[in-house]
Amino acid sequence: MAIVRPEMKSYIWLQTTDGSIQEVEEEVAMFCPMICREVLQTGMGSSKNYAIKLPQRVNPAVLGLILDYCRFHQLPGHSNKELKTYDEKFIRLDTKNLCELTSAADSLQLRPLVDLTSRALARIIEGKTPEEIRETFHLPDDLTEEEKLEPLRNMTDDPRIRLLNRLYARKRKELKEREKVKNVEVAEEHMDKRSVDDLLSFINGGDGDSKCVRSAKNKKKNRRRKDQPRNSASNNDNENREKETESLNSAHYNGAVEDVSSSNRALMLQDSSSATLLSNLDFDDADIDDGLDPALKEEIDREVEDFARRLNSVWPERMQEIYALGQERRLLQIHGNSSVARYTGKRNGSSMNVAHLFYRKLILIVFL
Amino acid sequence: MAYSFPEEVLEYVFSFINSDKDRNAVSLVCKSWYEIERWCRRRIFIGNCYAVTPGIMVRRFPEIRSVEIKGKPHFADFNLVPEGWGGYVYPWVVAMSRAYPWLEEIRLKRMVVSDECLELISKSFKNFKVLVMSSCEGFSTDGLASIVANCRNLKELDLRESEVEDLSGHWLSHFPDTCTSLVSLNIACLASEVSFSALERLVSRCPNLKSLQLNRAVPLEKLPNLLRGAPQLVELGTGAYSAELRPELLSNLFDAFTVCKELKGLSGFWDVVPAYLPAIYPVCNGLTSLNLSYATIQSPDISKLISQCQNLERLWVLDYIEDSGLDILATCCKNLEELRVFPSDPYGVEQNVALTEQGLVSVSEGCPKLQSVLYFCRRMSNAALVTIARNRPNLIRFRLCIIEARATDYLTLEPLDAGFGAIVENCRELRRLSLSGLLTDRVFEYIGKHAKKLEMLSIAFAGDGDLGLHHVLSGCESLRKLEIRDSPFGDKALLANAAKLETMRSLWMSSCSVSYGACKLLGQRLPRLNVEVIDERGTPESRPESCPIEKLYIYRTVAGPRFDTPGFIWTMDEEGNTPLGIA
Repeated sequence: MAIVRPEMKSYIWLQTTDGSIQEVEEEVAMFCPMICREVLQTGMGSSKNYAIKLPQRVNPAVLGLILDYCRFHQLPGHSNKELKTYDEKFIRLDTKNLCELTSAADSLQLRPLVDLTSRALARIIEGKTPEEIRETFHLPDDLTEEEKLEPLRNMTDDPRIRLLNRLYARKRKELKEREKVKNVEVAEEHMDKRSVDDLLSFINGGDGDSKCVRSAKNKKKNRRRKDQPRNSASNNDNENREKETESLNSAHYNGAVEDVSSSNRALMLQDSSSATLLSNLDFDDADIDDGLDPALKEEIDREVEDFARRLNSVWPERMQEIYALGQERRLLQIHGNSSVARYTGKRNGSSMNVAHLFYRKLILIVFL
Repeated sequence: MAYSFPEEVLEYVFSFINSDKDRNAVSLVCKSWYEIERWCRRRIFIGNCYAVTPGIMVRRFPEIRSVEIKGKPHFADFNLVPEGWGGYVYPWVVAMSRAYPWLEEIRLKRMVVSDECLELISKSFKNFKVLVMSSCEGFSTDGLASIVANCRNLKELDLRESEVEDLSGHWLSHFPDTCTSLVSLNIACLASEVSFSALERLVSRCPNLKSLQLNRAVPLEKLPNLLRGAPQLVELGTGAYSAELRPELLSNLFDAFTVCKELKGLSGFWDVVPAYLPAIYPVCNGLTSLNLSYATIQSPDISKLISQCQNLERLWVLDYIEDSGLDILATCCKNLEELRVFPSDPYGVEQNVALTEQGLVSVSEGCPKLQSVLYFCRRMSNAALVTIARNRPNLIRFRLCIIEARATDYLTLEPLDAGFGAIVENCRELRRLSLSGLLTDRVFEYIGKHAKKLEMLSIAFAGDGDLGLHHVLSGCESLRKLEIRDSPFGDKALLANAAKLETMRSLWMSSCSVSYGACKLLGQRLPRLNVEVIDERGTPESRPESCPIEKLYIYRTVAGPRFDTPGFIWTMDEEGNTPLGIA
């Protein structure tokens, strides 16, 4: 029951969260489904004392905008073109106001306006980098470096790297959490609850590759302590010695790995051994013996560091990180890759349409 | 947005954001956006099936409806990737069958698909609609039968260029009589005859059928009836386009084409009898895409046809078109955007057709919208390339295949460095480039300097040494895919630019000079890459480390080394020990 004024117009009373009350032409206010429902179901809005309390997200400023929209749209007789032009002008707001408007329109259930503003927001977002989006919408940068995993400030903007990195980071996080739980158990498990098989494999040098690896790394560390800094010329002698030791080591590890190859897999699947693996991580340096001529190695190292610097990443730290990650990733592939690929490849030579010339398949054969 | 912006509203905003790039950006903005985005992502593209595991995908994105996955490297198209390399889609289908009961679309490229796989797909996804298998293999027509029989809402079945074990044409009859949902059917790569009556009935009861690509076994006589059953077709691939000359067939065909007012794309045309070409005149003016790459017709016939297709945007044709035909193309088809000219006799020693670099120059002059080129020819000159570059700075894809390896500029006998240099310098938006001819390290210097938007580069028989590769890896900022064969690139450039490899999707090198030692080193230094050595001579451990390997495929991944490598592939281990390989 609306108050009838001399000019025969009806008004609805609305109250915003700040307490202020205003009266709005009935046909305009009723354009909002939420207000419409309130009026019809509860009878509110008929007087100042019974003003309809609008949702929290509707402040007076944005209410004004919404009512303008309603006022225009509820009038019959506008052509589609007129409506479109109005809408396009209407959403020319700064981002903050646009967000407020979207939010308010949604709380008033004004679907067409939500649509309009949402599309506008989407257009604002498109084409931007995450940093730019954050800036535009004043959003916190609360994904950790780990989660973003962008140690390489990409020269390209390829988001696929980030996608991969993200996925990788999440897995790492999960693994870390699991490890925390495990570490509690590890202490007890060292009290030899392991089966005979476990012990045998352990003795034979096989927590799979990991054990070999650990030993290898330890050996390398020891070697390095004796070494001069790698860029010095006296490296040569040490290098030769190292080459020998290394080839011996690799032969040994070849053997070791093959011996325990089957139990490797089984072991790697057991959580206990993997936890042991993780807790023993201890890499301090990226230096690897590769048997290259030292001068060339120097050059390559220099170029690599140069390049790395250009990419804004710090090589040694990164390498530490990488080695730390390397162990965890082993788990990732065990736990993540639940199925070894299964396939039945069918030979289909006979069915190949010889008569068909798949030109793309031919091109470079020509060069043979 | 410091105050509450409800999730549903944000989700609604995201529903208008569809490109992969934008969605990925959105997911990295902040924690809450990451969460919201991952729940409302419906479509995902995986450019390398080994870069991520199915498990990771389903865990992160629980509500996917559409998946696109690519497998083998591009050079597999040229038989450079040995049989058994990998690219099996089975693990993906298994994971998705459990996680995505509402999956609607699967698009695969260069993957190995088994009949079991197809059966699993057909039974796992109640609302399955779209299956596209591009250059795939490993399945037979039995697998197709399961798909068409069980997928009640099938909209698209597209087998483009897949290698299918063709047991019989009977599979098509497995479409239930109630199937009316088909929008696109492409069986062009199949050899066997399918039942024509089944095909006719299928076509006529699917009112939304827009794209129909027949195989060669469908004779020309059957075409008019098929067309009458589907006058709404937008794309048609004919079967064999030959028959004895019968006037009533010609007029029948002509009338049938007249009814197809929506037709925009034509392909097929095996065994063309030129006398029947006039049947398609009614649709020529509306054509935007014409694929004559199987049509062995000569230049005058081609020219006559093309001159009627004023709205052509895409033309694939054999080099029978010759320079004269390309001149006509340049004159008549001002909307041309893409041109591919394939060789009719790639193995022949002598030139069999009058197609030279001039044809391409004409088209570059006459067609202002030309942006994508694949061109086979037997001679090229720097001058021609410079002209093309100046004419068409809007080129996006440029693939030139001079049939003879290391061919020089035929006028000056110089390398073609300057020509390709002009291409990269002028065409600033170039995204894809394939090189051929005699090329020194100079061309790579130009490429590294200018090709900043280049995403994919194919190199064969080019360059002098490591410096060339170094220019490319250090200069091309947008590079995603690099494939190289038979070029003298070795260890130094790779090792110096190792970090670059993590910013790319993949690198392929075959018959180059990369040593085993360098591969091991790369594997150690960059554990987020899989460094796969492909060598059919047996384990690289049996040869000295300085010995070059046969083939190398490096790609970035969060999935770690794969477990499905065949015996001739060794994945370099992170610790520098015995490389992982299943003997």
